Amino acid sequence: MAIHHKILGVATLLYLLVFFLHILYFSLKKEKALSAIWITLYGTICIHTLGLVLRWIESYRMDIGHVPLANFYESLIFFAWSVTFMLIVMRKKIPYPVITMCASLASLFLMGYASISPSVDRSIQPLIPALQSNWLHIHVITCFVAYAAFVISFVCGLLYFVEWKGVVPPKEVLDNINYRSVIIGFPMLSAGILTGAVWAHYAWGSYWSWDPKETWSLITWIIYALFLHARLVSGWREKRIALISIIGFMSVIFTYFGVNFILSGLHTYAT
Amino acid sequence: MISLLGLDDAYHAPWFIALIALFALSLVLCSLRRLALFVKEKKTIVLPEEDRLLKMDLHSYIPEKDFSETLGLLARRYRLALGDGQGAVLEKGRLSRYGVFIIHASIIIILAGGLIGLLFGYRGFVTLKVGETKDRLTLRGKSPAEVPLGFALTCKDFKVNFYPTGEPKDFVSSVEIVENGKAVLGKEIRVNEPLSYKGIRFYQSHYGSAPVFFFNVGGEKVALMEREAFRKNSLLLMVARYESRVHDFGPGVLVAYLDGGEPKATWFLKNVDRLREQDLQGVRVSLNDIQEQLYTGLEASRDPGVFVVWAGFVFILFGLYVNFFVRHRRIYLLKVPGGLLVAGTALRNRGDLDKEFKNLLEEIHGHTP
Repeated sequence: MAIHHKILGVATLLYLLVFFLHILYFSLKKEKALSAIWITLYGTICIHTLGLVLRWIESYRMDIGHVPLANFYESLIFFAWSVTFMLIVMRKKIPYPVITMCASLASLFLMGYASISPSVDRSIQPLIPALQSNWLHIHVITCFVAYAAFVISFVCGLLYFVEWKGVVPPKEVLDNINYRSVIIGFPMLSAGILTGAVWAHYAWGSYWSWDPKETWSLITWIIYALFLHARLVSGWREKRIALISIIGFMSVIFTYFGVNFILSGLHTYAT
Repeated sequence: MISLLGLDDAYHAPWFIALIALFALSLVLCSLRRLALFVKEKKTIVLPEEDRLLKMDLHSYIPEKDFSETLGLLARRYRLALGDGQGAVLEKGRLSRYGVFIIHASIIIILAGGLIGLLFGYRGFVTLKVGETKDRLTLRGKSPAEVPLGFALTCKDFKVNFYPTGEPKDFVSSVEIVENGKAVLGKEIRVNEPLSYKGIRFYQSHYGSAPVFFFNVGGEKVALMEREAFRKNSLLLMVARYESRVHDFGPGVLVAYLDGGEPKATWFLKNVDRLREQDLQGVRVSLNDIQEQLYTGLEASRDPGVFVVWAGFVFILFGLYVNFFVRHRRIYLLKVPGGLLVAGTALRNRGDLDKEFKNLLEEIHGHTP
């Protein structure tokens, strides 16, 4: 087993630790547990980044060097990284451990799925010609940062329907965090779609081919555009907004997983 | 029914295009209305009365400070929108108000670019054997048609490189543009590295191998692929079909030709002497060899709208940034008995105006001429 697999395994265990620290916090309600959570989260992202970097270096040692953003396994690992990254970016705006707990659980799930599922190829594969482009980095990074922001929005949307005094933050706070994560996610998703279009122009000869992934990312984009219009123009708040964010995330899930497994298209190398 | 509704090609169906047109129209109307609103709003900036300023979340009374001096201090950071000797309105980040307009206008620009491409562009492909030259491309669509390129494209060489694992690493077509019999440009086309010439782009799309038939037609050497036609004097012939084994006689090709306007066909068998050479319309035709040859498949497209689309992309990203991350805030300054009244509001993207306002007050208080 290569060293980067071990390091990423450690990162997965750290996500589990983050989860247990949250449980500890909710049972003890000690500030110390809260700072332990954040210290562990910072440590986790360092280890996680190290794992990605080592995988990157390993690919160069194998003489097929490329950034680890090229296949389904690598995208899962990067998705988990992006969620943690987004938590750190939004740290000041989300001082509610229940949100960090749910988001870290999402990271844990992604890491676990990536390392356990027999259908995921974990080896470093050479880059097929279509992927050999500098647009790969910017396209994948923008898309997954957007997905990560939508994870936080989804968590807020779900928590809206959970009544648990002292654990779940007030509803208007959830609503506000939900909006804040969507205004990060939406421009990022836009950038992801646009960089993808520019890349497609150079690689496939057309900036838009109605490939299933393209179509579904557009559907996702429209749902979050509706979210913003509902909130900013029609003044929708709280419950209905929470519902749209849940629907939006279902669409994200379908764009990311569903399209790969159910529909075939130009993006098939991502499976 | 399915083809009537265009469900087999929904994205080009009339109802789909009509929907997009409707969407674009509503965008135009929305944007115009919003723009009119902003212009009106800009004209009607007023300095609120003292009691309204006092109701604002952020306000502060500053005793014993000079009005014009404080105004000078504020004007370093904010743009003066309105002002007389008694009071002033300053603002910053006004652009944020136009964010929505920029975003919606960009979508219209992108759609317009798409329309330009749809109306004045085309998509097709060119397949070239190594050494072959073509001056037209085949359009994609229900009824394939050919379009002249206005120049010729020669494939000088084609290579596929593989990784040690056996997966393809690189497809490279070395091509040359020939215009008026002269080679004007040579380039290697790779996946992700198209060739652009006179508005037409050539993309490395696929490759393959196909049998090539080497004929001698009336003393002239000709290489033909399946379904390719050739004319010599009054004889028009075409390779209609290839069989790697015709019964037990080895490889053969079915050659179709016109006999006084009447289509006829005859088999040429490479390994049978009697059938290798035949007279067609008085022209001696012989099948000399059959070889598998690599060919390169190039996507070819012309899209004059692409730069309009790119411009739309840049504008929309700028618009999104401005709309969500630029804060539009106003600072009000009013002369009151014994001092000044300063108030601030965020009209969009509230953010950290509290902190900014606090810093501003400290600066005014600490400022000594």
